[in-house]
Amino acid sequence: MGKLMIVNGSPRAPKSNSKLYIQAFLSGWSGAYELYSLTQRRQEDCLASLEQCSDLLLVFPLYTDGLPSGLMAFLQALLAQPPSHPLRVHMAINCGFLEPSQNDVAVDMIRLFCKRGGHSFGACLRISCGEAFPTTPFMAIARRKLRKLASAIAKGRPVQLTASMPLTKRMFLRAAQRYWLGRGRSFGVSEEEMSTLEIEGP
Amino acid sequence: MDLILTDRHLPSLSLPDNTPVIHVAEQKIAPCVGCFGCWIKTPGRCVIRDDAPAIYPAIARCDRLLVVSRLLLGCYDLPMKRLVERSLPNQQAFIRLHHGESHHVQRAVQPKQLTVVAYGAQDQEERDLFRRWLGRNSLNTLAEDYTILFADSEAQAEELAGKVVRAWVN
Ligand SMILES: Cc1cc2nc3c(=O)[nH]c(=O)nc-3n(C[C@H](O)[C@H](O)[C@H](O)COP(=O)(O)O)c2cc1C
Repeated sequence: MGKLMIVNGSPRAPKSNSKLYIQAFLSGWSGAYELYSLTQRRQEDCLASLEQCSDLLLVFPLYTDGLPSGLMAFLQALLAQPPSHPLRVHMAINCGFLEPSQNDVAVDMIRLFCKRGGHSFGACLRISCGEAFPTTPFMAIARRKLRKLASAIAKGRPVQLTASMPLTKRMFLRAAQRYWLGRGRSFGVSEEEMSTLEIEGP
Repeated sequence: MDLILTDRHLPSLSLPDNTPVIHVAEQKIAPCVGCFGCWIKTPGRCVIRDDAPAIYPAIARCDRLLVVSRLLLGCYDLPMKRLVERSLPNQQAFIRLHHGESHHVQRAVQPKQLTVVAYGAQDQEERDLFRRWLGRNSLNTLAEDYTILFADSEAQAEELAGKVVRAWVN
């Protein structure tokens, strides 16, 4: 295969979980690659570089059950200015909730993009508990799956992988509660304040 | 309360005086930056002070919502999708089980009847995908009572929106 373009589709790319997942992916990747974050706002450069790439890996969070709007804009631009050859498109999506299947519709949105652009859909990793994964020892599980994704892409195998924390629903709810309370506390915001029912004040 | 969100003008629509119509594509709505400030720093308020903070409380309050939107890759096109993302303050950080799946706890969000007039789908695959997307998203927005009307043209979208509003009035 030729060069791999890795696109970080998180709107908070420099501080994103996607960035950590890309780092883990790269620990298993030995081929040539380029890395581009949508927050760099150099979309034209990325579209031009795709001319030299055979494969595209999209790494991004699930946003309101679909693709982040910035990634949708990028894909729209790629449909309008396609490279002169079809790409093999791979993805590693991560969502906050417990069930990896919550990512399924977004995966099919990428499939639809491939069909529209005449690209082929390659390997796919669905990560759940994506917000908290990197803060726990379970990250080893995600790291292993990301290296597996790297090896599948290198071998041209269109695998379907999932990575989730081995937690029951009840354990997940408790862990999520602890996680978010800690995040609030770091801003001096209490559980009661976080639980407000008010939206934009009374 | 009724609310209409649209990404195109609907000049032929005749509405009762008090029904707000928001032309979403003309509002200044930046994409969500994923800071979670609306959950952990200023709960219930987005830190980006553009036009979105005037709209998501109205989405929360309404009990009948009509959305008119073009589709892009089986989802709302960008203007409406950005607004959906920026409505995150309507939820809390905390997670509960809903239909056996993990979903966020809602703030003061009225369960609503949602009608979507969707136009611009390129094929049946895109319509099916949009149906699946809305089905999932409705679980996170208390809009499980929803109807989708697909329009083949913008003119037909306007016509369908007119029908929905006439049914509201009667
Ligand atoms: C606007 C917004 C919408 C989100 N929607 C969902 C969702 O529908 N389902 C889900 O499981 N997680 C959702 N999340 C959570 C993110 O997918 C999760 O926090 C992810 O780890 C963020 O990855 P990143 O740091 O790479 O951006 C959403 C987050 C934001 C900010």
